[in-house]
Amino acid sequence: MTSRNPFAVLGLPAQPDLADEDVRAAWRRIASATHPDRDDGGDPDRYREASNAYTTLRTPWGRSEAYADLRFPAPPAPPPRTPPGARPARPRLSPWRALLLVPARIRHGKPGRLTLRIVAAAVAALLAWHSGAGTPPIAGLLTGIATWLILTARGDLAPPPGR
Amino acid sequence: MWWYLRTRLAIWVLRATGRVIRWAALAAALIAAAPVTLVAAVGLAGAWLRAWPPARLRRAAWWSLPMTAAYLLACRLRSASWRALALAPFDDWRAAWHHVAAGQLVTAFALCAPVAVPAGLLAAAGLWAWRIYAIETGLSGKTATAPVIFDARQWRRASRAARGRVTAPGAFPLATSSGRVVMGATIRAVGHRWRPVAAVPYQALGRHQVIVGSSGCGKTNLMMRTWAGWYAAALAAWSRRQAARPLLVVLDCKGGPDARVKAARARVLLHAAGARRVAIWPDEATISLWTLPPTDLAVTLFQLIESGTGPAAYYADVTQAVLTLAVTAPPGPPASAAGFLARLEPGWLENAYARDPPGLAGVAAARRVLPDVNLRYRTLLSRLGPALDGPGTLADADAWYFILEGTREQSVAEAQAQAITDLVAHAVTTPGTEPRAMMLACDDYSAVSGRVPLSNLFERGRSLGVGVQVSAQSWQGLGRDDDERRRICATADGGIWLMRTPYPQPVCELAGTRRVIETATKVIGGVWGDEGSSRVQHAWTADPGIARRLATGQAGYLRAGGCTWVQIARPRPSPIPLPAPAVVIPPAEPRRQARPEARPAPVPPAPAGDLDDVFGQEARR
Repeated sequence: MTSRNPFAVLGLPAQPDLADEDVRAAWRRIASATHPDRDDGGDPDRYREASNAYTTLRTPWGRSEAYADLRFPAPPAPPPRTPPGARPARPRLSPWRALLLVPARIRHGKPGRLTLRIVAAAVAALLAWHSGAGTPPIAGLLTGIATWLILTARGDLAPPPGR
Repeated sequence: MWWYLRTRLAIWVLRATGRVIRWAALAAALIAAAPVTLVAAVGLAGAWLRAWPPARLRRAAWWSLPMTAAYLLACRLRSASWRALALAPFDDWRAAWHHVAAGQLVTAFALCAPVAVPAGLLAAAGLWAWRIYAIETGLSGKTATAPVIFDARQWRRASRAARGRVTAPGAFPLATSSGRVVMGATIRAVGHRWRPVAAVPYQALGRHQVIVGSSGCGKTNLMMRTWAGWYAAALAAWSRRQAARPLLVVLDCKGGPDARVKAARARVLLHAAGARRVAIWPDEATISLWTLPPTDLAVTLFQLIESGTGPAAYYADVTQAVLTLAVTAPPGPPASAAGFLARLEPGWLENAYARDPPGLAGVAAARRVLPDVNLRYRTLLSRLGPALDGPGTLADADAWYFILEGTREQSVAEAQAQAITDLVAHAVTTPGTEPRAMMLACDDYSAVSGRVPLSNLFERGRSLGVGVQVSAQSWQGLGRDDDERRRICATADGGIWLMRTPYPQPVCELAGTRRVIETATKVIGGVWGDEGSSRVQHAWTADPGIARRLATGQAGYLRAGGCTWVQIARPRPSPIPLPAPAVVIPPAEPRRQARPEARPAPVPPAPAGDLDDVFGQEARR
């Protein structure tokens, strides 16, 4: 058996910092429309679902718990002890997923500063390209500019999740 | 006479010529190596303005080596001979002068940059290191106060640069992928390796740490950063199967509304760090004292009450005997406060020990004092409140934030702290349970340290493998006497965080001293002359003067005979949520039994039949 998201059942955004009044108002709205004592018979299933959701969300602790349930996977079983010499398991965030997160990290970081940095690097690269210095120095300069950009742009990104 | 004058003049001319030749040669070398000179000058100016240490310039030189490598690789691809490759920098340097003559300065610099940049930065690092040495030892500077002025100016600039750096979000996550807890930007490192970002191995936080800083110095930010950073790093280590699952226990011993705000902030941070359940006690979660083993429970209950010395020790012994009888009775230990109080009745104990003659004799002997003991514990347990009466265990959450009202009700908070530390010790030592990497953080523990001395907590933590972090507002707040304070600090092998405090000397002493060269300059005719003497002296590794003047958010990390002054970065949760499995949650019932339950809410949800009681007639529209 699985339960639905209690926030969604009450039509509330999934946030741990909702006020008691908001939750109660949402439940009242649904309960008054679906109660079995209504003349039209109401919607007992929906009422029961809303009541269960309200039971879960009526306290700050309950909301925090439900929010945690939504955001984080259930705690897995304790891992077996690593035998001597065995290689540890891979970290949680795979490189592929880390790459996919880069746009979000840019958006939540300091995009303005990052843009300025990229523009500065691009201008420097253009200057180097059009300097007529020959292939080897230009290759070196472009490598240097790229190194500088990679090293400094990390600070403009938001930290990855979990860190 | 003329001969003497001529000789003197000749010697002067020779010396002057030598100086001119030397300066001319130096100027020629600087001009010949103009690109290197230019880079070195820029590096020196940057180091002076931003108060970089020489290590910063060396790192920059190191990171510019890929540029040189790419340049050399391209040269090698262009010409097959190694000789041409070796001469390529020289050829490009020579060609650069032709471009200079033609007014093409950008081209000239571009030709030399792949070699000039690392070389110039390395030269700047060497020159800057020499400049610092010369100033600090009195070999340079126009006045005798030059070292003092230089040091103060460089500290100001380094602080300003560090304050600017901590605004970069990506440079200061809670923890690095290599398991280091990021604390902030380094202002100055003395006896420690300099790194731009100050980070502590998370294992160090698993040992004992002490934090000393007066109110308003940014201690809360520092502590939260250590909690969340430690949790994130320990969780990552657990997911790699390198450590046990982490459990954070925070005792906020001051209490009050501020503690609630801190708890809410800590919860958000810990959720972002990967903690799934963060329990806030006693507002939202409860814990059961009665899960302790009977013998431990009897000792804990005995320690919860004040027992005097001298003649009062007799009554203490009697109380302990009664508690042992009640808790270790044949039916098993009590499961709640009410159950425990019911046992402090003669009738209950006589029934329980009916088949145990020695126990029955003890009950008979204690019969006279049972009402007194009962009254005393009834009062104590009612003051402690229901939050220690369960249900719930430490294992039910990933992090616990205990709020103890140490300011308002010190004796109650002391008893609660005693009980909670006993529960922590029990959770760590219980065989057959999942091993946990535990950190016990005590904020303002001095508010409740009367019952449980901090040194005891440290000793217990060490023997149990629990990292204990203790914070106090001053040196005096760390313990009742100097002996205890020194014992606490001396066992803090995870490091000491020193923040702004008016009396930092005892803590600074722990970092020791370092050898410096002190130069005395001779005063000749009322001005500083160029004669003097130097000798080796000892100076503070962690300067108490700096500690007194620290701005908000600045701290010194003392460990292993060194001190790193840090601008602590305000901990912020990553705005990117952790991956969620789905919008569907698993069935709640089995797990709800295992997790700490919330206090009964005052208004339960209305059952199906009493909608009118809740809504009135509006529900029957």
